[in-house]
Amino acid sequence: MDYRFHFGQIFTSLPFLMGGALLSLEIAVLAFFGGMVIGTAGAAAVTLGSPALRRIARAYIVFFTNTPQLVQIFFLFFVLPDAGIVLDPLQAVLLGMTLNAGAYLTEIQRAGFTSVRQTELDAAAVLGMSTWQSIRYVILPHVVRTLFAPLSNHFILMVLGTSMAAVFGVDELTGRAYSINAETFRSLEVFSVTAILYVLITIAASMVLALAGRALFRVRMKFV
Amino acid sequence: MPTLDIDNLGASYGGNTVLRGVTMALRTGEVMSLIGPSGSGKSTLLRVLVGLLVPDHGRVVVDGAPVNYANKQSVRALRERCAIVFQQYNLFQNMNVLENVAVTPVRIRKRPRREVEAEAMALLARVGLGDKIRSYPDELSGGQQQRVAIARALALKPEFLFLDEITAALDPELVSDVLDVIRGLANDGMTMLIVSHEMAFVREISDRVVFMADGLVVETGTPTEIFDHPQMPRTRDFVGKILRH
Repeated sequence: MDYRFHFGQIFTSLPFLMGGALLSLEIAVLAFFGGMVIGTAGAAAVTLGSPALRRIARAYIVFFTNTPQLVQIFFLFFVLPDAGIVLDPLQAVLLGMTLNAGAYLTEIQRAGFTSVRQTELDAAAVLGMSTWQSIRYVILPHVVRTLFAPLSNHFILMVLGTSMAAVFGVDELTGRAYSINAETFRSLEVFSVTAILYVLITIAASMVLALAGRALFRVRMKFV
Repeated sequence: MPTLDIDNLGASYGGNTVLRGVTMALRTGEVMSLIGPSGSGKSTLLRVLVGLLVPDHGRVVVDGAPVNYANKQSVRALRERCAIVFQQYNLFQNMNVLENVAVTPVRIRKRPRREVEAEAMALLARVGLGDKIRSYPDELSGGQQQRVAIARALALKPEFLFLDEITAALDPELVSDVLDVIRGLANDGMTMLIVSHEMAFVREISDRVVFMADGLVVETGTPTEIFDHPQMPRTRDFVGKILRH
């Protein structure tokens, strides 16, 4: 193949791409923490809730973990306007990713809820801890430690998943790469650089998470 | 002077009656051991005493005051006076050794951290773990974890110490270190109620031995009375099996 690389235009657009990468990270962080709120409530509902509440939570999980995320966002973007709810692309993507994350994070946190050892709770009780003190000193630290690695992994997946926003014209990393490609037709260069940027973001995020996990919760995680 | 009176205590697990009316008394400074076949209710009795299982009937009276197991305040007051060590250590996995021992005195009883940590370090040195205070439970052997659990119980300065088969989950070579610690406590006059299958140890350390079967006390006596001259046929049968062992 006789191909000449022309990275010139790409490099001049690098700040533009990096701005997109920042938006990708912002979407992932917002959707992740929104998902964590749903996930904590969902896990509590599934493990401690009434039968009716459990059924609702299960239906939510089944729906969101068994349909493609892209379809979910299409649904929010194209179907909700019929009900009078109009979301702009970024809102639709954020809401869709949050709801999707909520379902997966419910499943992850449920595992954490059920992994608390009764023996440790017994020990806490006989040492004189109240229910709230057991939660504060025994249950939460244990759950956080158990869940830190799977939650981190899901966050990384979500960072990559933000590329779906490009389909809706959101100006994040993939969206901007798509625009530059349309202007320059240097597809190989554009998408190579874009891929490298994704790798750099996820490696950086993994390292930060692994270091935080080690320092705060004594979680043994690989950096990459 | 009896200080812990157990009167006709009954308890059940999910419809299964495990204790059918246990009566006994533990005196200050006394080491009393519970022996008997599996399922006789020994461990259940300890769980009821510390309030992990609410009794169906009967009374527990500490220094003349009956414990109301349905009342949180009453149970909390009881737990300030007694401590239990479990077979499975039950250490808090997210805390290091020193934190495991100090967490309750500091966080729950609100005592000054500096003072508690000094005491905790002395206790850990006493159980032979002075060099492990920064280790986490999963970095320790079973015997070491069990000695941390004993130090954690002692940090509460209990008047009564309950030991629930504390050597049953340990490898044989680790048992003696744990028993040495208990021996030391007995010499210091700690009041203890011990559930154990280490018969040689029970015989050596106990002031009195209680033989239980089917949720009832069958026979109580000194180690010599129970092991050498058992009166009841069931006791004779049990002791005979063990000694042949």
